[in-house]
Amino acid sequence: MALTERSARNPDLPVPATTADDALVEAIVVPNVLWRPEDPAAYGGGALEDDPRLEMRHYDESGEGRRDDARWGGLDIVPTKADYVLDLIRMNSLWPLLSGLACCAIEMMSTATSRHDIDRWGMFPFRASPRQADVLIVAGTLTTKMAEPLVRLWAEMPEPKWCVAMGDCTCSGGRYKRSYSTVQGIDRVLPVDVYVPGCPPRPEGLIYGMMKLQQLVKERRGHWPERAIGPTVPDQV
Amino acid sequence: MDRAFRALIERTFGDDLTGPVRQRHDETEMRIRPGDVPQVMRTLHDDPRLRFEYLGDLAGVDTGTDFQVVYHLWSVVTPDWLRVVADGIPRDQPRIPSITFLWKGAEWMEREAYDMFGLVFEGNRDLRRIYLPDEFVSFPLRKDFHLPDDASRSPGGGVRPMEDAATPADAAETTVRRTARAR
Amino acid sequence: MTTPTRPSLDDPSLTIPVEHAGIFEPIPLARTERQREFYDLRDGEMLLNMGPQHPSTHGVLRVVLKISGEQVVDLDPVLGYLHRGVEKIAENSDFHHIISQLDPLEYVASLFCEWSPVMSFEKLLDVQVPRRAEYIRVLTGELNRIASHMLFMGWYALDLGGITPILWSFAERDEIVEILAAITGAKLLFNYFRIGGVNGDLNHEFMSRLGDWMSRAGAQLEAGMGLLNENEIFVRRARGLGVLDRETALRMCATGPNLRASGVPFDIRRAHPYSVYPELEFEIPTRREGDSLARYLLRMDEVRQSLRIIDQCLHQMPDGPVMARLPRLLRPRPGRAYSAVEGPRGQYSCYAISDGTDQPFRLRIHDPSFLHLQLVGLLMPGNLIADTMAIMASLDPVMGGVDK
Repeated sequence: MALTERSARNPDLPVPATTADDALVEAIVVPNVLWRPEDPAAYGGGALEDDPRLEMRHYDESGEGRRDDARWGGLDIVPTKADYVLDLIRMNSLWPLLSGLACCAIEMMSTATSRHDIDRWGMFPFRASPRQADVLIVAGTLTTKMAEPLVRLWAEMPEPKWCVAMGDCTCSGGRYKRSYSTVQGIDRVLPVDVYVPGCPPRPEGLIYGMMKLQQLVKERRGHWPERAIGPTVPDQV
Repeated sequence: MDRAFRALIERTFGDDLTGPVRQRHDETEMRIRPGDVPQVMRTLHDDPRLRFEYLGDLAGVDTGTDFQVVYHLWSVVTPDWLRVVADGIPRDQPRIPSITFLWKGAEWMEREAYDMFGLVFEGNRDLRRIYLPDEFVSFPLRKDFHLPDDASRSPGGGVRPMEDAATPADAAETTVRRTARAR
Repeated sequence: MTTPTRPSLDDPSLTIPVEHAGIFEPIPLARTERQREFYDLRDGEMLLNMGPQHPSTHGVLRVVLKISGEQVVDLDPVLGYLHRGVEKIAENSDFHHIISQLDPLEYVASLFCEWSPVMSFEKLLDVQVPRRAEYIRVLTGELNRIASHMLFMGWYALDLGGITPILWSFAERDEIVEILAAITGAKLLFNYFRIGGVNGDLNHEFMSRLGDWMSRAGAQLEAGMGLLNENEIFVRRARGLGVLDRETALRMCATGPNLRASGVPFDIRRAHPYSVYPELEFEIPTRREGDSLARYLLRMDEVRQSLRIIDQCLHQMPDGPVMARLPRLLRPRPGRAYSAVEGPRGQYSCYAISDGTDQPFRLRIHDPSFLHLQLVGLLMPGNLIADTMAIMASLDPVMGGVDK
């Protein structure tokens, strides 16, 4: 009923046709032709790469930030035995960076402490300094004010590094999808390897996510060379 | 609901009140002009019959047509919460005296009201944005700031007036569509 | 194969120009009197940024310290790194939806975040909550208070350098929170209180877990507290640190344990009683010293009082419904309601304005940690940098509530 009301008021809006039950439904993306904000860069209209505060623009300009070549020593075609051993070493001692932002941080701490102990997988030392960390577990809502420091932390982490988006707020914006000051999912600013949904995810869920990350590290999946860093969501979404 | 307390307030403040003292459940509400805030607050704080030494909350409200600042106070003298509403702050000149001379802790609450509404508290030594980045130009909790809502751009449309994308086009003339019935 | 050159962070062409530097500006433009006073550096002073990512800032808080050697001369907290715009979202949500939206504010004690708005809505709607529901609210609330204070203990010790207490306290907290998960369904963001009651009666799993825990809770909690109560390092570091006197506490609008540790016996459960607290017998611990040790010991006293309250609730629990009958579409009369509860950190209150529609016109949440961070600027100057975090931890802020 809301649909017909609105279409009645604005006749040039498209109305989605009915589809068969099992057909793949395309996202209904309606361009915003009804209203323009005064500032063309508001509401995500300005391209993220133009933001001078994000260092990723430098990587994007040269196209090199989108190529993942430092990770496996440049030989990305044939992994050697040494690479295999290195991967085993890396996967069994992934040291996370203490970047708990909000509620998910409590569950991350709960994962790290006695009851659900991720020291079993070698992840106990939560490093305070990004220079010593392997994994950035972003736990909690990312706001636009915090985006700059977080990307800076990511940039300061040395390779090889991975990123885990913990919680609904980091996966997609979650319950703050309609907020004016949150980033709708950290994959708009960082390359994410593992998404752990939940609000907050149970410690068992985070452990599952970390084990998936270990699997990714071992099988050398995920950070394939052409994977983009930066917003991977369509513009209108 | 303390009837004797209502009589005490009406006796003490008489002319400063811009409306009747209303009581509901365990709250007593009085309305004053924004300019009278410092002296009313000082009387409430210092008068030995009132002794409102505890400031519970300082909130800004956008009624759609103008702003209000609402203070909540507690005293050992009465079991009710006292709500002081400084009503009628004009939209184009949102200035109100600060109460940081009495309660230093109100400084940050006034900063938050400034950040969210643009209310300027005269006398606050540190009136700058507290939550939003300093480059933010608008004041989010005002009724004419519309959420960047996905719903407003989808065919679902949102049946609620706040989400209607057509609204901001005429937002320049009449600022809001929500009525001010809550006054 | 040529190795492609990657941009080096030392490349001068990549230097971020100062006006865009954001938090990395050496001395930002001073816009207010206080800022001018703060950024006026005298001889021998320097600015040190304890940035939003820091092991002990209890979340994303940025503190700019003005230090002279190792001593902190002044500090300027910068908030807002977790500002999620909850009040604006609340203006666009139904009364029922809001309750789950307000959980992540003070995420450690989220039942109190729900309790205060639910009470405001009940006042707006003139709804009478059944007594059994009130008792269940008090019971679960006090369990949440114990969990929160246990976390406080763990974090306080962690900020002072002790690793063992946080492991013990998280073990305690996980156990309590599993009890609450049996009844609410969640571990952290409970979403349990509803307008007019709670979302479900006590069940067998909850009662068996709770009974099991209560039988050993006293001894277990005492053992956990015993790690720190008589620990010489802890006591010598915390005693006399960050003394907050009575007058300052009232002027700075401190509430909760921070106020009571300064000698003001103000507890909303007794000063302005709500729910069924008038029927329960418990004391309000108060201390007069006002230092960090007093704040810590007071919270531990509160844990003991909470255990007493839980015991009474279990014995006095009446029968009856757990939820008042309410329509799904709630349209209260236009009006205003304010209600405050005593959370583990202080007064948590909610001011709701209704304009007759099914969405609130304004929902204002007042969080205690927000005001306690102002205390930090008052208490820290004169102390060493290491004590900075000790004072902040003793005030027990939770950044979710601070930044809303």
